[in-house]
Amino acid sequence: MTIRHTFKTALTGLTTNRSRSFLTILGIVIGITAIMLVISLGSGAQALILGEVQGLGTNTIAIIPGQVSTSPSSSAAALYSDSLKPADVTALLNKSNVPDLKSLMPVVIGADAASYGPNTYQVTVFGGTDLIADIFNLVPAEGQFFDQSDVISYSSAVVIGADVANYLFDNQDPIGQNVKIKGRNFRVAGVLPKSGGGSLFNFDSMVIMPYTTAMTYVTGQKYYNRLIIQATSDKIVPVAAADIKLTLEESHNITDPAKDDFTVETQQTLANTLGTITSALTYFLVAVASIALFVGGVGIMNIMLVAVTERTKEIGLRKALGATDRDILAQFLLEAILLTAIGGIVGILLGAGLAFGISIGLSKGLGVNWQYVFPWGGAILGLSVSALIGLVFGGYPARQASKKSPIEALRYE
Amino acid sequence: MNIISVKNLRKSYHDGTDTIALKSVSFDVRQGEFLAIMGPSGSGKSTLLHLLGLLDSPTSGSYRFNDKNVTSYSSDELALLRNREIGFVFQMFNLLPRTSVLENVKLPLYYSDIPEREWEDRARSAVESVGLEHRMEHQQAELSGGEKQRVAIARALVTDPGVIFADEPTGNLDSKSGKNVMAIIQRLNEEHGKTIVLITHETATADHAERIIRLIDGEIESDARVRNRLKPEDEFVK
Repeated sequence: MTIRHTFKTALTGLTTNRSRSFLTILGIVIGITAIMLVISLGSGAQALILGEVQGLGTNTIAIIPGQVSTSPSSSAAALYSDSLKPADVTALLNKSNVPDLKSLMPVVIGADAASYGPNTYQVTVFGGTDLIADIFNLVPAEGQFFDQSDVISYSSAVVIGADVANYLFDNQDPIGQNVKIKGRNFRVAGVLPKSGGGSLFNFDSMVIMPYTTAMTYVTGQKYYNRLIIQATSDKIVPVAAADIKLTLEESHNITDPAKDDFTVETQQTLANTLGTITSALTYFLVAVASIALFVGGVGIMNIMLVAVTERTKEIGLRKALGATDRDILAQFLLEAILLTAIGGIVGILLGAGLAFGISIGLSKGLGVNWQYVFPWGGAILGLSVSALIGLVFGGYPARQASKKSPIEALRYE
Repeated sequence: MNIISVKNLRKSYHDGTDTIALKSVSFDVRQGEFLAIMGPSGSGKSTLLHLLGLLDSPTSGSYRFNDKNVTSYSSDELALLRNREIGFVFQMFNLLPRTSVLENVKLPLYYSDIPEREWEDRARSAVESVGLEHRMEHQQAELSGGEKQRVAIARALVTDPGVIFADEPTGNLDSKSGKNVMAIIQRLNEEHGKTIVLITHETATADHAERIIRLIDGEIESDARVRNRLKPEDEFVK
């Protein structure tokens, strides 16, 4: 029998039992839909996170105290949390050490209560320089950002987030007013617009002040939580990162790079780390969704076995009329593969459609820039996996069918 | 020339106890002969037809079909032989459900090496030869019993085989339809030279044949010519 006629026969077999065929492929449809959904949303989330990271500027380098743990037992991060000292800043700012450094911002972070009149609000105190405004594109809705002279003079000028302004000042204009933190007055120089919750970095509940002020009057610490450096150009970042590493190792008297008490993170390494995390999460969810596919496959096998028993007489007739074992095997195998492939295609379309809907929902609902990604890889994977399921789970019933003796089959009632 | 030649054909089943369905049967069938095999149920006539029709293989004995020793054939070779040289007509018609008359008749062609361009014409002329040209596109559920059996005969004819095996072809039909079917079968024998081997327990059906073999308990009891053979137009009484 030619392939075309095997195809036609298999298709006829499926269409004569339309509702059963539909119910059979439901398992495959659900499995493939789930996989498509997970892969599509996973890629979307990855694109969103990477987009946010890239938004930080590709020439930005962050220095973090301690080591980014490479093994679960590594506690270097905790041990060296105070490893970034003012001396390091001096060393880094030395042009002969890091010639490609354009600007440097020490960062201190603390949490404290801020109050104005009777109102108190728990805020994150961010101590830095005006570079933060540059990096995150922060433009105060009212007033203005503090500048380098405020940093040098330990000025009490602060910029507050939208939530802080709302809670502390209700409907009053906060500009020029004093907020109290640790019993000390800080003059509000600027108020940031609301940034929303969708962003990777949220400034809404922050009080931003010069790091000099923050260290002296708020946190009282003698070390920095971060050092943020901008290189002179994007291309020079790897060179600058290497220079920074050498400078700090020298400054900390470290000879073995494995014992570094700091981590130099570039936008690229951060993107890689986040990419790995989201990929791992996606793969995990795909594995979970695959269970649905497996169950769908067992469903196919079940129905095909029923079909083979039910059509014993038909098999006997075909054999009596000259069908070989191979013809019967091909017919039933193709029926199973057609079932799963159709299920796969429906699942791909359904999954892609749902993912598209959810993408729109996420962009509109959360106000984030969620990009819809059509998972071509997932579609190809889904289609081949579903055909493979047809082959594997249809194989046994098809073999059973082909092995029936024509006479037993004809006698079957 | 003998189209069928069996010697000491024996068939036993081993399902718990040994059941002998056929004990050492020998006979020949000439090309163009019309043979009826009769016998009560359990006499082994169905087993014999299945063996002759290459649907089953004997436990021992020899079977030459068309001068070929088919006892040594593989299942694929047997399938090919069934397709090319044998047509079957069953008591229960065995038509595919929800499939048109024309498609049912075409079924053996799918498994043949007859070029596809000939299929439509062959199927149509087979349907016409049993007088169902007005039923071409009907589904089997819309047909009467007699019509169904005529479709089955058309299906048996479509590959133009030399031999037609009929297993109780009138067993599920009323006497009028039965007569009609037997008239067609007899005409195939007389006008188209087809060899017919038919099993039945109805004398009225068997009397259309030239020769009747009677089986009892797996053995040939008698093998005789029919003296007052029925003609296609004769009254068929059940």
